[in-house]
Amino acid sequence: MSSLIDVKNLTLQFDTDEGRITAVDDVSFSLKAGQVMGLVGESGSGKSVTAKALMKLNPSNAVYGEKTSISLHLENERIEIMDLKTTTEMKVVRGGAISMIFQEPMASFAPAISIGDHMTEQLQIHTDMSIKKATEFSIEMLSRVGISDASTRFKQFAFELSGGMRQRAMIAMALSTKPKLLIADEPTTALDVTIQAQVIDLMKDLVDDFGMGIIFITHDLGVIAQTADDVAVMYLGRLVEQGTVRDVIRTPAHPYTKGLIAALPRMDDLDAPLEPIPGDIPSPLERPPGCVFNTRCSVAIAGKCTVEIPQFFNVSKSHKVACHLVQQEAQKT
Amino acid sequence: MYKFAQFTMVRAGMALFTMIFVSFIVFSLMELVPGDCAERYLAFKNTQGSPISIAEIDSERARLGLDRPYVVRWVDWIYNAFQGKFGDSCILRVDISQLLGQKFWLSLGITLAALLLAYSIAIPVGIISATSNNPYLNNSLRLVSYLGLALPNFLLALMIMLFSTMVFGESLTGLFSKEFRDAAWSFDKLMNFLSRAWLPVIILGWSATAFAIQTVRALMSDEIGKLYVTAAAARGVSGSRLLLRYPAKHALTPIINSLGFDMNRIFNELPIIALILTLTEAGSLLIEALARSNDQQLAGAIIFLLTATIVTINFLTDIALALTDPRIRRSIIG
Repeated sequence: MSSLIDVKNLTLQFDTDEGRITAVDDVSFSLKAGQVMGLVGESGSGKSVTAKALMKLNPSNAVYGEKTSISLHLENERIEIMDLKTTTEMKVVRGGAISMIFQEPMASFAPAISIGDHMTEQLQIHTDMSIKKATEFSIEMLSRVGISDASTRFKQFAFELSGGMRQRAMIAMALSTKPKLLIADEPTTALDVTIQAQVIDLMKDLVDDFGMGIIFITHDLGVIAQTADDVAVMYLGRLVEQGTVRDVIRTPAHPYTKGLIAALPRMDDLDAPLEPIPGDIPSPLERPPGCVFNTRCSVAIAGKCTVEIPQFFNVSKSHKVACHLVQQEAQKT
Repeated sequence: MYKFAQFTMVRAGMALFTMIFVSFIVFSLMELVPGDCAERYLAFKNTQGSPISIAEIDSERARLGLDRPYVVRWVDWIYNAFQGKFGDSCILRVDISQLLGQKFWLSLGITLAALLLAYSIAIPVGIISATSNNPYLNNSLRLVSYLGLALPNFLLALMIMLFSTMVFGESLTGLFSKEFRDAAWSFDKLMNFLSRAWLPVIILGWSATAFAIQTVRALMSDEIGKLYVTAAAARGVSGSRLLLRYPAKHALTPIINSLGFDMNRIFNELPIIALILTLTEAGSLLIEALARSNDQQLAGAIIFLLTATIVTINFLTDIALALTDPRIRRSIIG
């Protein structure tokens, strides 16, 4: 199966008063239709900026790198997202072939516009449905994501719905235009754990039904383990490890990924101390030279990791990592 | 629709209650002023040379009904006030409705026109400036705003008068030319009024506009940064629809809210301008009644009308808010 979206050498900087800040640095990945890719990293690692870049949704001070290319493969056409200039041209990736759901469902609905008006508006932009048809279809979508009494909910406002219901409505809206790619930016972070499980189940069902690809952004490796096929670990704007979920979670290779996994509480051994990764993610204004993780890495090789940027190295066919240490050890044997 | 009618009824009831409550306060304040209408009138007559006796005061009191209990007089006053009847002025012995006459409506008209001017400039300019990254546009707007905020109205009025006297040979004072001052309303009088009323409207609107631009700009910048705007853009909403349906619509709520407040502020500034431009309007009459002649009956009537205006404006803005924001609708009728 060929890929749905290919991101190559995505580099994104922001022009600010303090100078040009690098938010995403040379990120490449692909996703196949029907697959779920988890994008993992701490706050400030550039996950959301990467996701928004796929819809060119970053603010006007964003500067894309020259080599950046993002291609979206639809049934009978290929869209070069970087070449889309006007907002009219971008409609195809904004709510059309790509939909996005956000972390806070309450804040992503406009407070004074009803759920239904949000939904029909999107359908009117992307399809030629009449208002009546769009209304019927939206109500159908709401029931499909498990919202009871959908025709009443359709007329209500975000503040009248519960958190889980809002995120369901958001998902219903995002899927109403039958996108090929769904970007979910921490969709469950603001929800209760029980609701979180429901929403994740719902999303998994819908991927199967609709056959679309999902990019699932989260800082929660537990959620990734449940939902994703592939995972990409991001740190300070760079991908440090990529591979299938099984490979990356069972045999993490990068010290950062290892740290993320060690920092998870273990249900089978509640007395085991948590092992947080020491230090904080550096400010994008002070990106360390060499490997971006060297300031927090306990196994950094002096004179190498602080100087040379590590390139991706294949640990196995479905697992690659950008780390000097892993590469050195592999080459020794 | 039914819910909206229900909202309007409940809100109108609240407005009426506010009016009655305020009228009680106004009436009580009038009572708290030492002395009453009878004493004051006779004291006034005394200064004109005619001696007075206690018996005269008492009979005057009986004539004015001031010997009745406090609450009865309040009910009587408010009952008439709601019909626009405020009785006679204490000192001048003229029917207050006649004394106030058009003055109140002129003040109201000038205030509302200044308010309208301020917001019809501030809303588009504020929105443009909040969405624009152009530093020249924003800096020049800021300069104009600061000038508007820093330059006192009376100074502006004096400057315009001076300028127009030097250039046109006319000071532009007064609301009517001499020949129309006491004439009945006619088309010519209206035109004459409009040819002069623009000056106080612009002077009062000037600082109000500067103030309102800052408000609109701040509110818009706030709304534009919110997630629902990004989310709407992510759904393909673009252009003016993205701007007007999303942030502008939501910034409107607090803007409508500030209307009543601004209205009050402009009304308060009006007497100073009126003094300089020698306008005959209600605010100056209020100052006259309060500070000089101590005419509680007249002052009470003006304060009552002023409050009624503000309560009405607030009622109307709440109706407008309920139309734009569902949370407000639900907050009153659940």
